[in-house]
Amino acid sequence: GLLAHLEMLEMRAHEAAVKKEEMQRQEEKLARLKARVQELRLQRDELRAKVDLQQKGQLGKEGVVSDPAQPNAQAVLEWKIKSLKAMLQIFYLTGISSKLTKRGVCFSISTAYEGTYLDSYHLDLLTQPEVRIQRHSVPIFIPLEQIAKKYLQTDIRRFMSVLSDHLNAYVGRRYQADQLQEHFSDQIEGALQRNSLCNLLVFNYNVSSQSKTFLFNARLLYGDLCSILPTEVVISCTPDAPASLAEMAGAHSDLFRHVALHKAFRSFRSAKES
Amino acid sequence: MDVTIAEYIRRTVLKIPRDEIQTVLQKWGFLSEAQLQSINFHQRKENTAHEVVQLCEENSADIGQAAVLDIIYNHIYADKRMWSVYQMNKTGEETEVFYLTDFKKKIKRRLQSALKNVTITFREYEHNAIWIRIAWGTPYTKPNQYKTSYVVYHSQTPYVFISASVYKSNLPLLCQALVFASNYHDIREMELRSHSLNSLKDIVFKRYSQNFQTYCPRPLQDRNVAPESADPRIIQENKNEKERIQRVNREVFGDGPQPKLEFAQYKLETMFRSDPEMDVLDKKEPFRCLVKFSSPHLLEALKSLAPAGMADAPLSPLLTCIPQKARNYFRIREKKGLLPGSFVSP
Repeated sequence: GLLAHLEMLEMRAHEAAVKKEEMQRQEEKLARLKARVQELRLQRDELRAKVDLQQKGQLGKEGVVSDPAQPNAQAVLEWKIKSLKAMLQIFYLTGISSKLTKRGVCFSISTAYEGTYLDSYHLDLLTQPEVRIQRHSVPIFIPLEQIAKKYLQTDIRRFMSVLSDHLNAYVGRRYQADQLQEHFSDQIEGALQRNSLCNLLVFNYNVSSQSKTFLFNARLLYGDLCSILPTEVVISCTPDAPASLAEMAGAHSDLFRHVALHKAFRSFRSAKES
Repeated sequence: MDVTIAEYIRRTVLKIPRDEIQTVLQKWGFLSEAQLQSINFHQRKENTAHEVVQLCEENSADIGQAAVLDIIYNHIYADKRMWSVYQMNKTGEETEVFYLTDFKKKIKRRLQSALKNVTITFREYEHNAIWIRIAWGTPYTKPNQYKTSYVVYHSQTPYVFISASVYKSNLPLLCQALVFASNYHDIREMELRSHSLNSLKDIVFKRYSQNFQTYCPRPLQDRNVAPESADPRIIQENKNEKERIQRVNREVFGDGPQPKLEFAQYKLETMFRSDPEMDVLDKKEPFRCLVKFSSPHLLEALKSLAPAGMADAPLSPLLTCIPQKARNYFRIREKKGLLPGSFVSP
C-alpha cells in the first residue's frame, strides 16, 4: 500500500544521500592528493635548481664545461674516483710506496723487469721504540735479516733501496729462467737446473755448426745478488766436439755475461733463421 | 730380482688408489710404454700389482728404482704423513751458492760413514724442492725399506721439513748431516707440525695471504657482500656489528685461503685464579692443563667463528698468531711480576 511505497521512497532517498556523501569524499580526497602532488613537484624543482647551482659552481672552478642538460653529480664522483685511482697507480708504478699504519709504516715494493710488472712484496714496520720489522712477505731466501741489520736502524731509505735492488734482481733472474723454459724449450736439452734465488743456472742446449748439432753445457753463476747478469759463465762441450766449437763456446760465454739470457737465446734463434 | 724388492714394489703399488696407478707408474718411468700398455688397470688391485711386479722382474728392478717409486708415491700423498719443521741457523754473513751435487754427496757421505746400512734416494721437484728418502738399517742389518724418513729441503732456505719414521734415534744423525751439507751451523725443531706439507711451507715461506695495509690498486670488488635480499621488508638489525666483525676478521686473517693445520696445542702452566675466599688449592702451584684445538682445517674454522656468532671478534691473539709465529704448540706460563698475567714462552 501507501506506507510500503513511502518506505521505498525513503530508502531510495537515503541511498542517494549516502552515494552523494561518498562522491563528495572522493572528490575531496582527489583534490587533496592533487595539491600534494603540486607541493612535491615544487619541492623537486627547488632541489634540482639547488643541485644545478652547485654543479655549475664546482665545475666552473675546475674549468670543465658542465653539461646543462643533466645534473652530473654522478660524473663528478666518477671523475674523483678515477683521479684517485690514477694517483694510487702512480705510487704503485714508482716501485716503492708506503702507508702509515697504527703503529708504524707499511712499505710495498713492486718489482718489475723490462716493463713487465711482477710480484709485490710488503713489510710492516714498527717505529716505536725503535724501527723493526713486525711482519713481511719477502721470500725467505732473500737475505732480509742481513740487510736489516746493516741499514734499518740508521738509514731507512738505503734499507728500502737495497732491499728493492735485491728483490728486483731476483725477479729479473727468475723471469729470464722462466722465459728460457717457456719459449726456448726446443733449444734446451733436459731440465733447467736452478736454485731458489735463481743465482745458479745449469742447463744443456743445442748448437748447430756445419749442419750438425752439438750439445753445450752452460753454468751461470750470479755472484752479485743485485744483478740480473751472471758474474761467471762456464760453457763446456762434449769431448768429441770439433775445435771450432771452442771459439763458439767462448763467444757464447761472453754473450751470456752481457746480455739477458732469453735475449741471448732469441738472437741464437734469429741467427739460425737468417 | 730380490724377492724383498718384489714384495716392496707390490706393497707400494697396493697403497695407490686403483685409478691413479697408471699415472704414478708413468711418472716413475721405469716401465716402458709398451709394458704399461700391457697392464690391465681395470682389474682388482692385487692382480694389477702382480702384473707390475712381473714386469719389474723382466726389467730387473733394483732397490734404487723401488725407492724412487716410493718417493713418487709419498710426494703425491704427502698429506698422509705427519711433517715437522726444523730451522737451521748460520752465523756467516754471505749467502753461499748452493750446489745440488755437492749437497747430495755430503748427505750421502755423512749418513753412510756413520751408518753403513742406509738407502738414500734423492728426487728434485719444482720450486727447488729436494726430496730425500732414507731407509734405515743398523750396523748389523740391511736397511728396512718400511722404516723410512723423508726430508724436503728448498735450497737456500733455512727450513727443512722432516717426516720421521719410528726410528727416532736416527733423527740427530739426520739433522747433523743436513746442517753439514747445507752449510749451516745448527738446527732446531720448531713447534710446528701438520699433515699438510704445503701448508707448512706456506707458513714458513710466508706464502699465505697476509693482509697488509697498502695502497695497492686492487679492483674494488664487493668481496663479502651477500646478495641483498630482494625483499625490502627484511631489515638487518645488526648490520653495523656484522660489518665490523667482517672487517676485523679480514684484517686478522687476510683474504686468501688459510694454511691447513689440524690442531693447536696450548700447555698451560698458570695459576688457578679462584675467588680468594674459596681458596681451592692449598698450595700456590701452577695449575697444569693442556688445551688442544682440533679440526680438519683449524685456521678456516677459527676464521669462521666470529662471523658465525660463536666468538667475539677480534679473537684472542693466542689463536690468531699461529701463522705469523709459525707454531702450533704453545707453552703459557705465568708472567712474573706484579701484574698477574700470562706470556707465551718462546
